[in-house]
Amino acid sequence: MSRKQTPLRPYFEKMPDIGKLLEDRDFKQRGPNAKDVKEQEDLIAQAEKKVREAGKPAEKVRQRGQMTVYDRLEYLVDEGTWCPLHTLYNPKDNEEGCTGVVDGLGKIEGKWAVIIGFDNKVIAGAWIAGQAENILRVTDLAKRLNVPLVWMTNCSGVKLPEQDEIYADRRGSGAPFFRHAELNKLGIPVLNAIYGTNPAGGGYQGISPTILLAHEGANIAVGGAGIVGGMSPKGHFDIEGVQSLIEATKNFKAKPPGRVETHFDQTAYFREVHESEQGVLNGIKEYMKGVPAYDPRFFRVAETAAPKFSGEDLNYIIPFNQKRTYDVIEVLARLTDNSEFMEYKPDYGPEVFTGIAKIAGLPVGVIGNNQGFFKDYPEYREEGSMGVGGKLYRQGLIKMNEFVTFCGRDNLPIVWLQDTTGIDVGDAAEEAELLGLGQSLIYSIQKTELPMMTIMLRKGSAAAHYVLGGPQANDNNAFTVGTPLTEIYVMHGETAAAATYSRRLVKEQEAGRDLEPVIEKMNKMVQDYYDRSRPIYCAERGFVDEIVSMQLLRNYCVAFTESCYQNPKSITPVHQMILPRIIKG
Amino acid sequence: MASLLAPMAGKVIEVSVSEGDTVEVDDVVFIVESMKMETPVFATEGGTVKEIKAKVGEFISDDDVLAVIE
Repeated sequence: MSRKQTPLRPYFEKMPDIGKLLEDRDFKQRGPNAKDVKEQEDLIAQAEKKVREAGKPAEKVRQRGQMTVYDRLEYLVDEGTWCPLHTLYNPKDNEEGCTGVVDGLGKIEGKWAVIIGFDNKVIAGAWIAGQAENILRVTDLAKRLNVPLVWMTNCSGVKLPEQDEIYADRRGSGAPFFRHAELNKLGIPVLNAIYGTNPAGGGYQGISPTILLAHEGANIAVGGAGIVGGMSPKGHFDIEGVQSLIEATKNFKAKPPGRVETHFDQTAYFREVHESEQGVLNGIKEYMKGVPAYDPRFFRVAETAAPKFSGEDLNYIIPFNQKRTYDVIEVLARLTDNSEFMEYKPDYGPEVFTGIAKIAGLPVGVIGNNQGFFKDYPEYREEGSMGVGGKLYRQGLIKMNEFVTFCGRDNLPIVWLQDTTGIDVGDAAEEAELLGLGQSLIYSIQKTELPMMTIMLRKGSAAAHYVLGGPQANDNNAFTVGTPLTEIYVMHGETAAAATYSRRLVKEQEAGRDLEPVIEKMNKMVQDYYDRSRPIYCAERGFVDEIVSMQLLRNYCVAFTESCYQNPKSITPVHQMILPRIIKG
Repeated sequence: MASLLAPMAGKVIEVSVSEGDTVEVDDVVFIVESMKMETPVFATEGGTVKEIKAKVGEFISDDDVLAVIE
C-alpha cells in the first residue's frame, strides 16, 4: 500500500486558529458601518459601469458581427476566475473615461495568465492617452508573476488629435513592444488573438508577441490604408489642396495592407487563421494548454480550504470612520485557508503582525498593521508612553525586516495588509533609527526578489505607505488593490493644513488681522486632500490597481498566490524551509 | 459587581449603553478618543449596567472607573 502526505505536515496541516464568528449583536451594532461601506461600493460600481459602457454601445459592435472585448473575455476566461485590474485607471483624464484597454488576471484552461484586450467599442481600440502606462503595468505584472501574457489585439492606431500625449516619450506607446521583447527574452510567452484592422502601432502590437493567431478579417501592417494623400507639398492646406485630397479619397479603393493573404499565406507570421472570433480564442486556449505550469501539489502544504468565516463580514469589521480601531486579525481570518495563521514574534513589535498563512493550500507570508493602543510602548520613549496602531516603531520595523528576509530565503510570496498613518517621528524616533530601519525594510524587500501583493485596507500615508510593500516596490509589488475604505495621501488633510498655515496664523494674529480668510484656506485644503484621496480617485490615478469589494479580496489573494506558484523561477523545498522552525522555536 | 476601567487617557465620545441595560462580555460600552484614534471600550463582564460614571465629552485618565456592572 502506498502512503502520501503534504510536506512538513506537523507545521502546516493545522496551524493556529484565528478569528471568531460575528454574532447578531455585532451585525446590529455595526449595521450602520456596513451601510456606509455599501454606499461607497455603489459609487464605485457606478463608476465601473460607466467605463464598461464607454464608446459605442455594445449592441452596435455586435450588430456588425463582432464581439466586444468583454464578450471575448467572457468566452476566453475560466468561469469564476476573472480578477479585473485597472478598471478605473485614467491618469490623463481622457474624455473616453478610460485608457481603452481592459485587463486583469484570469485562468485559461486552468492556468493563470495576465489578460489584456483593446476595448473595440472605444474608437475601434485606438491608442489613447495613459494607455501605454496601463499596458506597462500589465507587462510588468506578467514579468513579476512569471505567467503568460494574453493579448486580444484590435487597435486602430493612435488617436491623432492627441498624438503628442500618446506617441512619443520614454514610457510612451512604443515601450510595450520592448516589454514584449523583454518578456520573450525572459521566457514568458505572449499569446496574441488578432482582430480587425491594426495599422502602424496596431501593427507592432500585432507582430510583437510570441504566438500570433488571427481572425480571417484581421490585418497588421507598418502603416494603414488611411494615409492616402501624403503630405501637402505646400506645407499647408487651401481649397485647391483639399479638393485634390477629396478626389484622392473618393478614388481610394484599396483594401488595408497586411491581410491574412499576406501574413498567413505569404509571410506565415500568423500560425492560425479562424473564420469565427471564438475560433481565435479556442486557438489561444489550445496554446495555453502547452505553457509551463506546475501541478499545484508540487508546492501545496495542505489541501486548499475556504476561510471559516464569511468575507461579507468585512463590511462590518473594518470601520468606515478612519479614526476608529479594529482587530485586523479578524480581517485576516476572512482571507486565509481555514482561518489559520502561524504568527512570527507576536510579543515583539506589537504594532505589526507577521506570519505564515495558507492561501489555496500554498504557503505565503503575511504582514500588516495592528490597530489599537499599546501600553508602555515604544520602549525608546519615556515610561508610560502609549503606542498607536497603524504607526511603525523600532521593534515593528526590525521584525518586518527579519520576516521579509526569511520569506526571501523560503521563497514565500508576501501579502501585505496596509492601514498606516506613518512612522513615528521626533528626536526619540531618530535616535531609535526609524529612518534607517524604514530604508532597511525597503532594502530587505528589494533583496528578496519575491512577488508581493498589497491590500490597502484603509489608510496609506507618509513613508510607511512605501515601506509596507507599497506599489513603489516596482520589482516586487505585482499589484495593489484598494477597498471602498482606501485613502492615500502623504499626510491627513488636517495635519497638512496645520503644517502649511500654522506660522501664517501666528503672523496674522500678531498683526491683528482677521483669521477667517486663513481658516477658509485651511478648510479648503482639508477638503481638497479628502477629495483627492478617495478610492475612485486613487484608482483613476493608479495609486491602486483596482478597488475591490471586501468580500472579493480573497479571490485576488488566490489569483496572486496560485500565479506565484504556477511557474516559479526559484524553489525552496518545503522540508528545508526555516521560517516555520524559527516560529516554533 | 465589576468596575469597567478606562484602558487609556482620552475623551469619551460615545456612551453606547444606558443604566439598567443588560450587557454581555465584549459588548461596546464606550468609545474613547485618544491620540487622534477612536477605540471602543468593551464590557469585561456581563450583567446589568448599574452606574455610568463618564459623560460624552469628559476627559478620562488611565484606569478611571467608567461604569459599574452588576
